[in-house]
Amino acid sequence: MDFYQGKVLRLDLSTSTSVVEPLNMEWAERYIGGKGLLLRYLWDEVPPQVDPWAPENPVILMTGPFAGTNVSTSSRLVVGCKSPQTGILNDSYVGGSFAPEMKFAGYDVIIITGESPEPVVVTIKDDVVSFVPAKPKYWGMRTSEIEQALRDDFDPDAKTLSIGPAGENEILWACLSTDQFHKAGRGGHGALWGHKKLKAVAIRGTGSVSVGDARAFLADLLRIHSEYVLTEDNLWANEEGTPILAQVMSDAGVMPTRNWSSGTFDEVENINSDAFLKIRTRNRACYQCAIGCRQFHEIDGVTGEGPEYETIALCGGNCGIGDISALMKFNEQCDQLGLDTISTGSVVGLAMDLTERGIKDFGMRFGETEGYLKAPGLLAAREGLGADLALGVRALAAKYGAPELAMEVKNMELPGYDPRGAFGMSLGYATSDRGGCHMRTYPIADEVIAGALAPDTLDGKALKVVWGNPAEGMIGENFSAVKFAGIWCDFWAITPEQIAQLLKHVWKHEFSEEEVFRIGERIWNLGRLFNLREGVEPDTIPQKLYSEEGAHTTGASAGRFIGAETFEKALREFYQIRGWDENGVPSEAKLAEVGVDVRL
Amino acid sequence: MPHVLISSKKCTGCHMCELACSAYHEGAYRPSVARLYSECNPTTGAIRGHTCLQLACAKCQKVCPTGAIVTKEITLTIPGDFPAKEKVGEVVKGYVLVVDEDLCTNCGDCYEVCPTNVIHEHPDRHVAFKCDLCDGDPQCIAFCQNPHVLAVDLKIDKADRELQPAEAPA
Repeated sequence: MDFYQGKVLRLDLSTSTSVVEPLNMEWAERYIGGKGLLLRYLWDEVPPQVDPWAPENPVILMTGPFAGTNVSTSSRLVVGCKSPQTGILNDSYVGGSFAPEMKFAGYDVIIITGESPEPVVVTIKDDVVSFVPAKPKYWGMRTSEIEQALRDDFDPDAKTLSIGPAGENEILWACLSTDQFHKAGRGGHGALWGHKKLKAVAIRGTGSVSVGDARAFLADLLRIHSEYVLTEDNLWANEEGTPILAQVMSDAGVMPTRNWSSGTFDEVENINSDAFLKIRTRNRACYQCAIGCRQFHEIDGVTGEGPEYETIALCGGNCGIGDISALMKFNEQCDQLGLDTISTGSVVGLAMDLTERGIKDFGMRFGETEGYLKAPGLLAAREGLGADLALGVRALAAKYGAPELAMEVKNMELPGYDPRGAFGMSLGYATSDRGGCHMRTYPIADEVIAGALAPDTLDGKALKVVWGNPAEGMIGENFSAVKFAGIWCDFWAITPEQIAQLLKHVWKHEFSEEEVFRIGERIWNLGRLFNLREGVEPDTIPQKLYSEEGAHTTGASAGRFIGAETFEKALREFYQIRGWDENGVPSEAKLAEVGVDVRL
Repeated sequence: MPHVLISSKKCTGCHMCELACSAYHEGAYRPSVARLYSECNPTTGAIRGHTCLQLACAKCQKVCPTGAIVTKEITLTIPGDFPAKEKVGEVVKGYVLVVDEDLCTNCGDCYEVCPTNVIHEHPDRHVAFKCDLCDGDPQCIAFCQNPHVLAVDLKIDKADRELQPAEAPA
């Protein structure tokens, strides 16, 4: 089959054995790849109600059909498991070059189960799989060190997916790193790897990915790229990248500031896009991406890619930090330790808040860099007060009797958009299939960036959260699900029609826009079934974000509040549009209509 | 003489050129046998392009004991991103070095002398393979499409070889 390699590599860490199985092509046809195929494999591979830390909880590395080709932005890898942080599904995406290398090595999927008795590194060169002791050399290494060591010791062209010290210490939001600055950031895959004593997977592939008539495919891609990819709508990511959002979000009263006590950061001009452009050194791209959004910066001896907007918001504004040099240093530490910056910035902001309120002195205050810059190291090592920080915002706030200060959904810390300035995001966070996440639907694109929808109402937003607003390029949950099956990056504002054009190359038949949307709806419903099976918390957001008492007093979002009843009403409307009952359980009719092939 | 160069400053390391090169020549995506490549250090961001300088170098041809590296005339159209804008669209004739597979004994002498490391043994055919500018339609240049980047470009001046140092970046 063109585009797919047709092979699944299964690694058992408990026995240091591997086996190759055929890819389930029936599932591939139904769920495409990426998120869709991942969820279908998770459904079968995760024993129902399993403890996320149990050896039986798998980690699945899934590619999309276009990884390893010239289809722009499709090099993304999705990593999946039942999250130790949230207890529900976790699909975490990362760019870079790992997924294409998997394809060149001959695999669409790698399923990792078991738990190694001793720390281990797995190396894969085409069909040769080795389990290498990670001690004494590799265990303990920072992310740049482990990558370089594996290039030196295993293969100079190896691509690695690895954890840093934070993962080894099972920090709940430890991430996986590849190409040094690229992270499968959210949901604690790094913690699970650390628990399984898996330091890294290094892969080198010398095989090929067939696409049928390669020269005809190349010609069509040249057209697709010039017409759809390299357009003004997408090239902002190359010119400025996500730092462009800092000023926009702060101006709209949406940027989390000083532990969500404001939506407007008075020092934003020090960490906005203009500030980063001044220290920009070069531009980089993920593998097979013509856009190239990765920005290298250099200041005071720190050089590296990023930070992206979410880091600027949570590790900058949310900690009251307007010092660009300190922010770069903090980001570098998180990168090297293997910490997700959204959750890290959230918990440090909360610790500062607890200190300022005199509840517990963490030695760190809003805007002060000294304690701030010590935090990632203490946290990753669970050293001193770092052990408290490692609890995450929910448990930390509860421990000190201030649960109202924790901004999370389903125990995943919220990203950089305050719903008080963009009401649609409240519904997006509440209904996200992996907890507090902005990547499943992005109503803020309409509410703030394009201005097509009023930001201070939930009227009509449930429909937008489910289906998006394709005319304005706003992504809804169903569309993000099929987009992440591709796996296309958010920075290509791809349309259903363009997805259909590409899928036609794979499956050799026409796809209508309706079918593309239906695949997305199928995937979203499958995810809901998985979460219901594993036991998901109610779909809600922190009370502060919708109650009158929680309204901001300054900035563009001052005085706005959603209201509990309005929120509940919108959620009921959301379930209705989805064809789910009042408890959020999909109806048999809906599952049959969209073609989900499993049942609770 | 025409040849391809990769700008270390402009290249983003997307590897689109390698992918297109392999798909065009091999009939499937296989960048491990691409005829050019961009060497990227993910930690420092440093990039160095490796391309064949054709007749501006010709060390492979000079060292070949069987005369298997032969000069071939091609016709190509100056691509739209060429630095000398007045030449864009111009059809030029030039020469590239190609491998006559009947004469190649895979002795490896050319692999040793190539200063840019872009002539190798083909893993399936076990003869040398190298860049032929896609018979005048270089796919690497075609797929370096981002108007802000355009790192892969055609060079016609022999002196340009100095732009591409032989040593890899630290």
